[in-house]
Amino acid sequence: MSHFSSVLQISDLDDFITPSQECIKPVKIDRKINADTKIKIQDDGKYYQENEGVLEKLEKVQITLADCLACSGCITSAESVLITQQSQEELIKVFETNNKMKIENIDGTKCIVVSISIQAVLSLAIRYELSPNDCAAKLSTYFRKLGADIVVDMTIAEDLALLESQNEFIKRYRAATIDKVNNVLPMLASSCPGWVCYAEKTHGSYILPFISTTRSPQQIMGSLVKNWLNRNLDGREIYHITVMSCFDKKLEASREEFSSKETNSKEVDCVITAIELEQMLENDNISLNSLENSLFTEPWISNERCEVLPNLSKHVGSGSGGYADQIFKFAAKELFGMEIGNIEYKELRNHDFKEATLEQNGNILMKFAIANGFRNIQNLVQKLKRGKSPYHYVEVMACPSGCLNGGAQVRSKSNLTSKELTHQLEQLYYSLPTKSPEENKIVMKLYENWLEGNDSDKAISMLHTTYRAVEKSVNALNIKW
Amino acid sequence: MPDIITGEMSGSEFKLEAIQTLNQHTGRVWHVSWHPEGKMFASCGEDRAIRLWSMESKNQWVNKVVLTEGHKRTIRQVTWSPCGNFLASASFDGTTCIWDKKSGQFECNATLEGHENEVKSVSWAPNGKLLATCSRDKSVWIWELVDDEEYDCAAVLNAHSQDVKKVAWHPNSELLASCSYDNTVKLFQDDPREGDWTCQTSLEGHLSTVWSIQFDSTGERLASCSDDLTVKIWKQQEHEWKCAHTIEGFHNRTIYDLSWNSDGYLATACGDDGLRIFKEEACIETGSISYKLVAENRQAHTQDLNSVAWNPIDPQLLVTCSDDGELKVWHFK
Repeated sequence: MSHFSSVLQISDLDDFITPSQECIKPVKIDRKINADTKIKIQDDGKYYQENEGVLEKLEKVQITLADCLACSGCITSAESVLITQQSQEELIKVFETNNKMKIENIDGTKCIVVSISIQAVLSLAIRYELSPNDCAAKLSTYFRKLGADIVVDMTIAEDLALLESQNEFIKRYRAATIDKVNNVLPMLASSCPGWVCYAEKTHGSYILPFISTTRSPQQIMGSLVKNWLNRNLDGREIYHITVMSCFDKKLEASREEFSSKETNSKEVDCVITAIELEQMLENDNISLNSLENSLFTEPWISNERCEVLPNLSKHVGSGSGGYADQIFKFAAKELFGMEIGNIEYKELRNHDFKEATLEQNGNILMKFAIANGFRNIQNLVQKLKRGKSPYHYVEVMACPSGCLNGGAQVRSKSNLTSKELTHQLEQLYYSLPTKSPEENKIVMKLYENWLEGNDSDKAISMLHTTYRAVEKSVNALNIKW
Repeated sequence: MPDIITGEMSGSEFKLEAIQTLNQHTGRVWHVSWHPEGKMFASCGEDRAIRLWSMESKNQWVNKVVLTEGHKRTIRQVTWSPCGNFLASASFDGTTCIWDKKSGQFECNATLEGHENEVKSVSWAPNGKLLATCSRDKSVWIWELVDDEEYDCAAVLNAHSQDVKKVAWHPNSELLASCSYDNTVKLFQDDPREGDWTCQTSLEGHLSTVWSIQFDSTGERLASCSDDLTVKIWKQQEHEWKCAHTIEGFHNRTIYDLSWNSDGYLATACGDDGLRIFKEEACIETGSISYKLVAENRQAHTQDLNSVAWNPIDPQLLVTCSDDGELKVWHFK
């Protein structure tokens, strides 16, 4: 069974039909073979080349996830590639190697940073019957035990994503209404990698202009950690781990856009999901409840490392970051001078498609929607194609109910349906205190100190990204009656 | 034993007779579907045309309408809606077209897009408001008619692990069956607990691709046919669908399609060029059922039979179509 969201399963991103046979990616081969060498297959099925009587084992071809993402063929090998690059095993290996180097006082140890997302914390909090803050504090202990140097809360990146998104929306709205620019509205959310990948592979250049260029919180965290946190590490290399609610985030971390060509390192080196963390804890025979609490690091402003108690908060409107809500309220104020307290969402065809309207004297000023799950993505895309979308902004997430119900959240231990479990997660999330991103003082300081101001080139390169349509190739071998 | 020349079975009380051969299609003919009133049927094939055939006089079927503007590739299946006002066509171009006659002639007035590649089958629910499609992309989609003209996607079901060959609705409830290259038949229902359609059961037993499925008119039986050369009859026992009988030993190649008539006769279309008709026999003592071959024509066509369909009104009339480019109308008595 695949772990990817259904949108990826459908766009051939996760095709189990014999990868080696159907992969059409040309592979670079190191030419070691002379004209007169023979290749032999041994009894164990491995290939050897014989050169003047000497047998040498031939390497297997390796396809990376980045290769797959850039290819229109299958991404068959995805799962196996992920297993080698972004797995619990890899993570443990990195920790163990680093710990060993520390003990033996070898130069070149890495600074291991763990960024924890709220959705994954809540999933584990329910699993281990902990309060969200206790769960976060115990996760911090667990990662420190494994060998993490810094454990941080991802809210900072969520706040940056919200602020960038709302500014981007205002720009797009004005471009569309004042300068009559086409293809800028509706703005479609970009934080869900399943949706983005599907749009690139399936709807290409048609849908991509509408997708917000603002990076997802995970990838903002990536640039923050690799580009800012590194400032006082004396060149020590960072290994960055994110703890997420969704398997598709592994694909996102592997995108070419999010790796540095100079240093050949990814902004997020390894994504570990809630369900994998549960597995790791079980393998280590650790009950999260039994661990003591420890602090989160807040390394963003002062040069001293500040340690704080986890103090998790929510964003209003959805468990996927609250994009529609935040942008709606900001735009109402910025564009129409209207203060909106509570937004009323109208449920449409199912509970995963909701819309909110801003009206004045009976005129519709703005229409926003939240569309979760593949069926609603479909209906939205078809509406867009037929020119029948009434929306200015749509928060699009591939999973039904959004990120709280991410595909890699811990499964219920008590026979709850996924809907009931999601409901519990939502309850827990909405019980958290609300913090508005505008009030986040650290974020404001980061704009000043790190990003050289709002809208600077640096802010654009650190907080935004690009998309590319993947050309479809028709592979005659694929045709079946 | 079958007659070598005509392929007919002798010594049976039933007679299966070809009464007309229709060869207007170019290339393989993939599917036939009767209009619910039984006075017309539609066919489609790799020539990307949909042909509508009406009865001109007794035993004389004439191609009255050809629909060519709609699909860019092979049309794999056509299906009439229960009300008879709509015709749905599923194509390898990845789309499903809904044709209607509101303007006086048949036109494609809605296109269902979303499948990643070849659409293999389309089926209307008995209420005419829901439509199911399936594709090589391994998914089954359910579409809902909104405001009498728009079709919204109501569900995307990823239960199968391979190419899905056919979808078929239960005749009087919102129960959907699908069959696949993954050798299984799956049943789906709207689950109010989840607020979405979910796979209720996976019927396992076939050893190779399941090519077609159909519920009988009572809805008590589901027949499935396969590349494993068998037909399985599934019946609901204590809320669970179980295999009640396997028809084996009659077919020499893949069985591509089957059809129940209102009297409970089951016709099969086979890759060995044969058309066969079976009837259920119950053993009163054991309570078990078996199926008897009551009529057979081993040379019904010169190549694979792709589809078979009984007339919904006249249980003695059926149509087949084949890779040989022909359609045949049969009389069964």
